Amino acid sequence: MAVYGLRRILWESYPVLVLCVVISLSAGLILDSQMGSIKAFPLILVMVPPINGINNNVCSILGARLASALHMGTVEPKLGKQKVLRKNTRATWLMSIGVFWFTSAIFFGMALITGMGLARSIMLMFAFFAASMVAIAVTMWCTVGLAFLSYIRGLDPDNVVIPIVTSIGDVMGVTCLIIAIKIVMGV
Amino acid sequence: MPRELNVRAIVIQGLAILLLCAIIEILAGNVLESMKEQLAVALPGLILAIPPLLDLRGNINGALASRLGTALHTGVIEPKLSMSAELKVNIISSMILSFLASATIGLLSVGVGTLFGITSINVLGIVTIAIIAGVVSGIILAAITVMVSIFAYVRGWDPDNVTAPLMATIGDLLTMISIFLVAILVV
Repeated sequence: MAVYGLRRILWESYPVLVLCVVISLSAGLILDSQMGSIKAFPLILVMVPPINGINNNVCSILGARLASALHMGTVEPKLGKQKVLRKNTRATWLMSIGVFWFTSAIFFGMALITGMGLARSIMLMFAFFAASMVAIAVTMWCTVGLAFLSYIRGLDPDNVVIPIVTSIGDVMGVTCLIIAIKIVMGV
Repeated sequence: MPRELNVRAIVIQGLAILLLCAIIEILAGNVLESMKEQLAVALPGLILAIPPLLDLRGNINGALASRLGTALHTGVIEPKLSMSAELKVNIISSMILSFLASATIGLLSVGVGTLFGITSINVLGIVTIAIIAGVVSGIILAAITVMVSIFAYVRGWDPDNVTAPLMATIGDLLTMISIFLVAILVV
């Protein structure tokens, strides 16, 4: 007996993917509406895949862990008195801080090498870091909410929660990045 | 259960893979930045499709990696590179999803772009880029996902924490390169 059916995988995945495309397209629309700033400051484009990609990775890991924990019963779908949930969100914070500092430092180096000047390079580093922290905070709590919801409703976390979380992550990443760069770098 | 509760272990295992992902994402960002002329002048509206296309890769291959991880652990698929029926269904379904979803992204980008008044949108160009880039990177990535999943299983890596983020990130880089190459060919 076949465990995986072609029809089932397609039938379950395609509607979710279309929903994700629609959400991610709003991230594209935000980028498009800011073409002026992007032309003036093309480094924004270099920053888009990292902030979205890392945000999505961190929250996918959290989503997968929570899905397993909910099924094993170590986390219950509620917010109060959740020791395991708190440890998971704390681990997610620590990982995000570590990886985004590293990424921010690389952007600092890139800015410095391309002749941006020390003060502006430092400002750029903080802008990217601040944007990533706000994006991760929002996306992380969306992940927790969606993981609970999928558990209560009996949806497959791999095929439903993680795709939707990563699309929300795209919108959050792009929005926070553009706002931070506009405020800090004045473009 | 102790693994579930150990914040330090989660952070260390997660960070190692995330730092690698950060570097790959920055490379993807540089590919995107090198396309700024095409994005701004030659192919207005293409930028709309970029977040969804990147996201799609992560979603399809992340889900493929997770399914393969589960299938390997439950013994449904054996850790060797031969085409079993189960492996075939998984690969074929992700190919079909890649094609359907890429075409959807192309059409929706054009639709949304027209709706929001992005002028001189190259309909055929954007749909072609979305489909070819989506399918080409999908084929390459399905092969890499199978190899990485088997390798990860043999090495005892956690599929949720290692394989899925790694595949999503490699997917971002390969998709960006595919979009870049196809965009050059189309324009």
